[in-house]
Amino acid sequence: MFPSDSFCLSLNRESRKIFFGLNICICVFCRRGPLKLGMSKVTQVDFPPRELVSYTKETQTPTQTHHKDDEEEEEDLALTQPALEHQEEKDSQKEEEEAPPHELTEEEKQQILHSEEFVTFFDHSSRIMERALSEQVDVFFDYSGRDLQDKEGESQAGAKLSLNRQFADERWSKHRVVTCLDWSPQYPELLAASYSSNEDAPHEPDGVALVWNMKYKKTTPEYVFHCQHPVYCVNVVGTQNAHNLISISTDGKMCSWSLDMLTTPQDSLELMFKQSKSVAVTSMSFPLGDVNNFVVGSEDGSVYTACRHGSKAGISEMFEGHHGPITGLDCHTAAGPVDFSHLFVTSSFDWTVKLWSTKNNKPLYSFEDNSDYVYDVMWSPTHPALFACVDGVGHLDLWNLNNETEVPTASVTVEGNPALNRVRWAHSGREVAVGDSEGRVHIYDVGEQISVARQDEWTRFVLTLTEINENREDVEELAAQRLAA
Amino acid sequence: MAEVEETIKRIQSQKGVQGIIIVNAEGIPIKSTLDNSSTVQYAGNVHQLLLKARGMVRDIDPQNDLTFLRVRSKKNEIMIAPDKDYFLIVIQNPTE
Repeated sequence: MFPSDSFCLSLNRESRKIFFGLNICICVFCRRGPLKLGMSKVTQVDFPPRELVSYTKETQTPTQTHHKDDEEEEEDLALTQPALEHQEEKDSQKEEEEAPPHELTEEEKQQILHSEEFVTFFDHSSRIMERALSEQVDVFFDYSGRDLQDKEGESQAGAKLSLNRQFADERWSKHRVVTCLDWSPQYPELLAASYSSNEDAPHEPDGVALVWNMKYKKTTPEYVFHCQHPVYCVNVVGTQNAHNLISISTDGKMCSWSLDMLTTPQDSLELMFKQSKSVAVTSMSFPLGDVNNFVVGSEDGSVYTACRHGSKAGISEMFEGHHGPITGLDCHTAAGPVDFSHLFVTSSFDWTVKLWSTKNNKPLYSFEDNSDYVYDVMWSPTHPALFACVDGVGHLDLWNLNNETEVPTASVTVEGNPALNRVRWAHSGREVAVGDSEGRVHIYDVGEQISVARQDEWTRFVLTLTEINENREDVEELAAQRLAA
Repeated sequence: MAEVEETIKRIQSQKGVQGIIIVNAEGIPIKSTLDNSSTVQYAGNVHQLLLKARGMVRDIDPQNDLTFLRVRSKKNEIMIAPDKDYFLIVIQNPTE
């Protein structure tokens, strides 16, 4: 029974197993003759059953549906749904119950509004809120696709004197004259201003001092102080540890106060010239670094040097020169390679500003560009040859003596031409604060080309002074010759 | 008390300010320049947001605390100054 053709063996799975296991040798016959088949080694292979990996999830909190079968799970779902609904009903009921206590009675509200902790909270948060409201930074602004507008600040980049901002308060500074200004040494953005009494409102306090903040765009003062007496002028001298508050009044009395005890002065000094004439002091200044010697200007137009302690306590010398009461006096303060602390400037009702040296009892130079009472003058704290003065018709003038001694280097008129009572340089020397007779404080930015002092300004000023002195001596010689003739 | 009124008036008169609400720690309004329904709506929502914001800040760093919250939207900006017992809400339209 041998087939003549080849054939295919097709066995089902079961038979194949048997076939391999039994080492059966098959003879396959085909045309070519019987193929020789031999024994071959059989390897037994075992396939392990495929593992089914399954995951189960369990919740840690015991739930009622935990160990239930499928059938029972359905029942539970039905159960939990009504339970949830029930809970929701409970919640809404609770809210309804809470609604009545939500409303506070008017009395309770008023009580809260008057309580101290509320006032503290409100003072603090309203201050922050006002600052945040005033800052108008628009972070969403889209520059592309819009016309680039020239900003106002840029056009004034090269300007010598430009108005930065104005400080005035409807309630506290209106109808009052700015009597004094002072920049804080610790926080350069804070400016203190004192005001005279408000004649239109006799019930308001007589003396007001406001602290203004340059840093934020907020238009209201940071702090308001008031007292019953008008504040004129104060000055703190000395170092951080040993300092005194010096005050001078028009009755010729100079008092030195300790800041811990402001009820009575530490000591007082009657300023009298040659033991007979009491000096009516209008302004006072201490030279840089000096706490003993000082200079005062008086109502009679004379300048006096004085000292606080020592055998010659009191007035030492008298300098004559002005023809009217002295309104402002300032000693040179810009520290640099050359010491000019013997120099001081004075302003007066006689329409002039004069430059003096403590070594000379006649003025070194007289600046006569103004056409009204000059109310105040101050040296720049950073530039040795620069000073500012203000007059009664709204002019703010900056004089740079290294440039020009005949006319101011920069000048600006305050809108409305109010009488400007006070001028104060900021400690940086880049800004000037001007106080007027209507209670407004104007802050001006001074251009870099004027305010920033180069290294050679001090030596240049020495030359300027020499020139000034030479001119003065020539003038005096001429005058003496004329008298002789 | 007059100072509080004055300050509120002053803030109200600033450019773009639409309303001022003072709320206590439970979210109950004490003083407001808006009508009652808006006040209640703002107070409730801000209270929720404040709790979440404060919780978030404290969660990230337990020693930290929320000091100010500003929510800027298309139409306006809501500024919230929170405190232990009260908070001040100001709604402003800055582009006005």
